[in-house]
Amino acid sequence: MNDPTRSAEYGVNALLKAGADRAQCHVTRIEKHELNVMSGEMSLLRTTFDTQVKLIAIKDGKKGSTTINKSDPDSVVKGAREALAIAEAAVPDEANDIAEGQPAARFVSGSESPDRDNMHYRMKELLETARERYPALLMLQAFLDFTREDTYVVNSNGVDFSAVKGVYHCTAVFSAKEDGKVSSFNGTSVAMRDLGVPIIECGSTGRLMRETTEQIHTRPVPGKFTGDVIIAPDCLGDMLAFLDDSIRDRALISGTSVYKDSLNQLIASPLLSLHARPVSGEICDGYFITSDGYSAQNSTIVDRGFLRTFLLSLYGSRKTGRTRAVNDGGAYVVDPGETPLDEMVKSVDRGVLLVRFSGGYPNENGDFSGVAKNSYFIENGQVKYPISETMISGNLAECYKNIRAVSRECVNYGYAVFPWVAVSGVTISGK
Amino acid sequence: MGGLDLKAYAGLFKTYTELRVQENRTIQISFVKGSNIANIRSGTSGVSARAYQNGSWGFASSPELTPDAIAAVVKEATENALFLDSRERKAEPPLPATVVSSENDFSTKKPRLGQKELLDFLRQVDDEIARRYPGLASRSVILRCLDMEKTLLTSDGSYSHSMIPRSQIHVVLSVEKDGTPVELMESYGGLGQFEDVFESPSSLWEGIERQYQHLMKKSEGVFAEAGVKTCVLDAELAGILAHEAIGHTCEADLVMGGSVAGDWIGKEVASPLVTLVDFANTALGQTCPVPVYVDDEGTRAEDVVIIEKGVLKSFLHNKESARRFGAEPKGNARAFLFSDEPLIRMRNTGILPGTSKLEDMIASVDDGYYLIKPSNGQADLTSEFMFGVTLGYEIKGGKLGRAIKDTTISGVAFDMLKTVSMVSNEMKWLSHGMCGKKQPIPVGMGGPAIKCQVTIGGR
Repeated sequence: MNDPTRSAEYGVNALLKAGADRAQCHVTRIEKHELNVMSGEMSLLRTTFDTQVKLIAIKDGKKGSTTINKSDPDSVVKGAREALAIAEAAVPDEANDIAEGQPAARFVSGSESPDRDNMHYRMKELLETARERYPALLMLQAFLDFTREDTYVVNSNGVDFSAVKGVYHCTAVFSAKEDGKVSSFNGTSVAMRDLGVPIIECGSTGRLMRETTEQIHTRPVPGKFTGDVIIAPDCLGDMLAFLDDSIRDRALISGTSVYKDSLNQLIASPLLSLHARPVSGEICDGYFITSDGYSAQNSTIVDRGFLRTFLLSLYGSRKTGRTRAVNDGGAYVVDPGETPLDEMVKSVDRGVLLVRFSGGYPNENGDFSGVAKNSYFIENGQVKYPISETMISGNLAECYKNIRAVSRECVNYGYAVFPWVAVSGVTISGK
Repeated sequence: MGGLDLKAYAGLFKTYTELRVQENRTIQISFVKGSNIANIRSGTSGVSARAYQNGSWGFASSPELTPDAIAAVVKEATENALFLDSRERKAEPPLPATVVSSENDFSTKKPRLGQKELLDFLRQVDDEIARRYPGLASRSVILRCLDMEKTLLTSDGSYSHSMIPRSQIHVVLSVEKDGTPVELMESYGGLGQFEDVFESPSSLWEGIERQYQHLMKKSEGVFAEAGVKTCVLDAELAGILAHEAIGHTCEADLVMGGSVAGDWIGKEVASPLVTLVDFANTALGQTCPVPVYVDDEGTRAEDVVIIEKGVLKSFLHNKESARRFGAEPKGNARAFLFSDEPLIRMRNTGILPGTSKLEDMIASVDDGYYLIKPSNGQADLTSEFMFGVTLGYEIKGGKLGRAIKDTTISGVAFDMLKTVSMVSNEMKWLSHGMCGKKQPIPVGMGGPAIKCQVTIGGR
């Protein structure tokens, strides 16, 4: 069955025919063209096609789901029967449901097909520019892909959505080596609507390459102290992951979230505003349809420090009796502040400019510790030197409250937009 | 996947080519606080081809398994290699040829359980935890099964079929202490399909009871004292150290990317007590958690001794890096999905056991820590590593003291391994490892306990 819309409709009908009370089917066709660089050389051109068919059945309050990657009628019917068998084995739960009917819609973003010649040109340009500007840089790996996803969601309540998205992604991982000394590796990813701009100018790519060549000779910070940490946009997402995890289904259903009673409460500094904007112009790698089958909308998660929404799925919302989120999270945008980055650095007596964090998962309480990688020691308002063997630790829930400045400057990665954020009261220990 | 004769497509190969048909089948069932929040099965299958032309590779894949789709995939992979070769013109020589034939199927011989039986099993585990430990604030019981079945044909003439399954139950227990949650996760299971790995719910009780007792002590835990300490790292931490901090730095692609290990072949990089091996499929007479017999380039998988008595001996290679380094490929090229190309990956990486007893190692520490369970781990080209630690105890005067809260250990692995002064005589495997490097891949990590100096985070 070559028409994915028909596959999705066929899937719903197959589920209903197999005995489902309510049925939903998601079909996604994925086409990927990817140019790979290994050890500084263009090494592989990869073309892949795949189909994901997710079949969801609810019967007598019991839910079952199968995912297959075939869309021919026989496979879909077999998958539908399996979804029913799984549902019949399940535990009934009143919280199980599918998305209610919404007006049919078709969403489109980005290009329909790749420009393979331009992909090769931009990748070659990235390698040559990096070599010219930063001779000590070693490109471990780089991937430039064009991914087109055609998504269809149909259900027995009348949901009928389709979305087509074409986006380029580039991931580069690099280190620097000189006189037998090597830096830590660093890496970055960007998503792009088109290839109109050199990749080195996108996101943090050029800045991180330059910084990596500065990080061949490092030192630990002296001693142990409590200081400021300026979190670079490149690791702000890691630092916000604790909040993201804590306001989702698992943490709220299990009751282990530290934010379970914090809706509309002040959980962060008034300087922090965090949005999920999957359908905004500034995010080229967002999404139009939620994993539950709703039309995605933008939302504000933290408004000047106040928690304004949880990220509950349809199941999570019905299970906890709280409101369903209007999106799946991600596509995060943190509002810029009013402090220029250089002013932010000048205001630090003793601390760290944290560019990459290599840490253990924070515990449910937000306690964290880890190594500051590709980072710098700041003293008396000046960036002094790149560091190694330096650990930072603290509590992320406290860190959000201790944000004392947010930079004017932001980096747009295509999938997120982040500024630099200064946090006080973090334990920093070197040697 | 049955019934496909890949050898019928050998005539389509125009250059060095690998043709692979693969299916990954998964089951996930989750209970959180008694609610069945996930009840899912999935299957992902298809065909891929990778072709080589003068140093450039082309790859293509399709989920369809028809003769036309297979022919189209071989054609597209070849054209991709030719396109890249026409632009890059590397003029590299051919790859080393390897020829092997292999069949390894770890499918259970027992009748397969249906979804209802699996759900009932999990529910019994969940119910029993709720009954035994009413003071818990929360509990999660999660079943994850993954079957990876691959058939491979290469233009060199290698042919292999394998079905490598693993089945795991993850149990997360949580208590509230002074209004904040304290959690501890333990994973049970390993190589094999569910029926071969889990006999009955009661087979888990002993482990869960031990987990609960650790959690109770952890809920009274203290922050570790930050700084460089003498620590005894239990087997799971030694295993993750072997994998993350040493194994990755010795992968040939990372060596070409500047890894510090690149300049140290033949040099002393660790205490003479340390021998570290990437096992292909069998270690000390036992099948490893992730046995690999033939890799996805059609190379017979053999053990790679990375460090022997403290001296760095070998790197991990695929065919291309082996040719560049003048080494033999030993089966480290592995792909996760049918649509993934093989990358240089570890298999089962572990430190070999020594002669000390764990209790003697603990008794020999005056002021330090006994660290038992890792969460995640990361390492670097410099061999600087970081591991999360979710379970550990103080050692004071040679005796175990209070439990510690979650923390992190870090250091420079090649420096730290020189401080290893005792190695225990027991080898244990961590069977649920999943390594991330562009693609995920199941790995085994193992080791004895080691006594060493390491930096521990804390307050």
